[in-house]
Amino acid sequence: MKQIPKYLPLVPVFAAYGVLFLMGENMEGMWQLMSMLLFYCALGQAFNVFLGMTGYVDFGYVAFMGVGTYGMALSITRLVQYEFLGVWIIVIGFALAMVMSTLLSMAVGAVALRLRGAYFAIATIGVNEGFRFLIEGARIWNGSEGMIFTADLNKILGRDTAAALSTYWADVMVLVIAALAAFVTLVYMRSKIGYALTALREDEDAAKVMGINVTKFKIIAFITSACFAGLLGATAWALKTPYVFPPEVFEIHYTIEAIIIVMLGGAGTLLGPLVGGLVYGIAQYYLSIFLPGFQLLIFAPIILVIIVVFPEGIVGMLKTRTRGSGLGRFIM
Amino acid sequence: MFFEQLGGNLIQGVVLGAVYGMATMGLSLIFGVLKVVNVGHGAFIMVGAFVTLFLFSSLGISPLFAVPVAFGVGMGLGLIFYYTTIRKLIKAPELATLLATFSIGVLLEELIKLIFGSEFRGYNWVVGKIDLGITVLPLSKLYAGIGSILIAVLLFLWFKKTRAGSAIRSVVEDSEGAQVCGINVGGAYALSFALGIGLTVASGVLLTMFIPVGINPYMGGGYTLKAFVIAVLGGLASPYGAFFGGLVFGLIENGSYTLFAYIPGVEPFALTRFLSFVILLVILLIRPTGILSAK
Amino acid sequence: MALLKLDNVTKRFGGLVAVNQVSLEIDEGEFVGIVGPNGSGKTTLFNVISGVFFPEEGTVRFDGMDITRLAPFKRAPLGIGRTFQIPRPFGSATVRENIAVGAMFGTQGHALNVDRSLDVADQIIERVNLRAHRDKPAGGLTPVEKKLMEIARALAMKPKLLLMDEAMAGMHPNDIDQMVAFIKRVADEENIAIVAMVEHIMRAVVGLAEKVIVLHQGAKIVDAPTKEALEDPKVIEVYLGHPPEE
Repeated sequence: MKQIPKYLPLVPVFAAYGVLFLMGENMEGMWQLMSMLLFYCALGQAFNVFLGMTGYVDFGYVAFMGVGTYGMALSITRLVQYEFLGVWIIVIGFALAMVMSTLLSMAVGAVALRLRGAYFAIATIGVNEGFRFLIEGARIWNGSEGMIFTADLNKILGRDTAAALSTYWADVMVLVIAALAAFVTLVYMRSKIGYALTALREDEDAAKVMGINVTKFKIIAFITSACFAGLLGATAWALKTPYVFPPEVFEIHYTIEAIIIVMLGGAGTLLGPLVGGLVYGIAQYYLSIFLPGFQLLIFAPIILVIIVVFPEGIVGMLKTRTRGSGLGRFIM
Repeated sequence: MFFEQLGGNLIQGVVLGAVYGMATMGLSLIFGVLKVVNVGHGAFIMVGAFVTLFLFSSLGISPLFAVPVAFGVGMGLGLIFYYTTIRKLIKAPELATLLATFSIGVLLEELIKLIFGSEFRGYNWVVGKIDLGITVLPLSKLYAGIGSILIAVLLFLWFKKTRAGSAIRSVVEDSEGAQVCGINVGGAYALSFALGIGLTVASGVLLTMFIPVGINPYMGGGYTLKAFVIAVLGGLASPYGAFFGGLVFGLIENGSYTLFAYIPGVEPFALTRFLSFVILLVILLIRPTGILSAK
Repeated sequence: MALLKLDNVTKRFGGLVAVNQVSLEIDEGEFVGIVGPNGSGKTTLFNVISGVFFPEEGTVRFDGMDITRLAPFKRAPLGIGRTFQIPRPFGSATVRENIAVGAMFGTQGHALNVDRSLDVADQIIERVNLRAHRDKPAGGLTPVEKKLMEIARALAMKPKLLLMDEAMAGMHPNDIDQMVAFIKRVADEENIAIVAMVEHIMRAVVGLAEKVIVLHQGAKIVDAPTKEALEDPKVIEVYLGHPPEE
């Protein structure tokens, strides 16, 4: 009995992802919009595990998506001659993306997570640029030329499968990542990890005195969040558009978008990244028609207002309003 | 041959380093007084670059006169952002000011893009050069270096000799104590923030002397990173530490570029930028309070 | 054997000696009052015991183990709990969740899952009469309620030693009597040693203490059974112009 209500807050999240998927499947010309919305929701869910739950901000977050993209790209370009691998080359790609983003997050976390607040943010600010310039400067993985692997995918999967992969299955994977990140978020929230993270987010010194190994829990959240980013890069970037160029996959723009989505929806809530992703995605879609190229000009002041006036975000406010009511059990 | 080249590059490095130092003093001043990390720092440098470009290209005004104009623009921007956002976030969790300054940076980039477009631009201010034997130094760069030192000295005197300056110093020492002594802490915060932004925008003018065609709304990101490296080198909270950090960083940057250029198969420019990131992490790891700071 | 034993502990900040060569012993289940005016080094002493600062000199032993340089988060599971001078609740979490955090990472933490910790929290909430506030965010409580919640959170840790920093400051005298009586009762039941730190000689606190330690300018000047300590001329000197509260 007790187990069922525990996961009630996932109902609206999964329902929304289900509706998005079905709308994209069944409505003419909607797939592209839906896949974009799913990408923003997934980005938000993944970023929220760290920013929302710990209250620390990682300005170099996009680096994890970047190395994830490289993980998939390396798997495809280096293993293409083993034709018996077939679709397994993609599975290996995801595994490699996870391993690489985990390793990078461990390396960054080992230095940065010892540092408090502002110093942490400073340490992360150059991670994406630093990694980009390492790849370009030392000519790792083709350096600044990047890698294009459309032909490799066609060769190993066949033209039709490769096309279906980049136009359909890559988006489905994004959906899976978004749902998975939401699920893990709730599991964390319901476990000691969530309690420890809330405590350290509110008062790190008090949390330590209460017996919480704050560094350990920060690293758990950091690696989890990085892992999802790696997977997201591997599918939304490497599979959807089968090439990788360092300046593109380490572009700080995506960190900015992740911050907007999470703060808009409500940092540290389960539903927030979904709501933030939808609002941002839809706005982005229409702004790109009416005000192409100036979406951020609209969103930067909006985010400033949110930070100053209602830092709890949309879902945070809803949560306060519905506390104790029947609806409140679904909102987290 | 190698040493001549290295020596020449190091001379250039000192000149650039002085400008780097001055470009970081605003960041350290704001952190030292308000404990606010201005993540949008580079965007303010970018604004300074566009002020220069506009004054020079449209009105034919010399970049040297752009310095006070940019300083005024920066003070104005600083006051606007202080009273609309920063003031309300001083007591909020650190996350709020980090995200707010970051968003301010994004806002400035997008505004400038709206006005000037996003292509790379530059201007050509010809004032001659001096030949030092091992290197040729354009006078524009020399002026920028001298200007930076001059501004740093002026700031030092201002802190030492004026009432407002010593009020800010006492707020840094002990903000509660200062309040008790009748110092307007809120006013000191506003003034420091405006001054910090003013210095940063003014530094953007001087930095344009080193980037012939590098003026672009998104040019600030790289400077934000460099400024943080410099600031932690000199101790994040000390404007003078930042100035010396800038000198050291200018030397490291130009010196390492010279060395990397001798390694076959690498891109020395990109590696130099990677190196600055590594330096940042190493300093934060071993001594977050700064290598050059006394305490 | 003493539960907590400090040997010649010194903590400096720059040139300032905040705690100067302090040695003391606290026995299991003992109720000790540490008295000292503002700036006498009490809070620093607490911070050294709970691991927020490491001392420059001297050793801290707890339960026979040297914990002088042990990370603070490793001390709570050993049985050191504390409250803060200004309460530090985890503001966005509810009262219940706050108290559950104490249970989760305290001495019994390894044996308690989240649900069991919440049960422990519920039991304590009943005992401290916070039922009406159980599901409210702790950040919204009144200062007195926050103090109460902090004590409840510390008790949920099932500590062997509870350090209370000005736990009664700002409370109504009647509430203080009740609160102290309650803490004393729980401490006796569970054999918790209490170290209560007060700025003034509060009758309610000091009256129940078995032993009083007086700090002055970072040094221990008196360490004696309560009655003796209060009659010590050195104490009267320190509190000259600061007559004992009635």
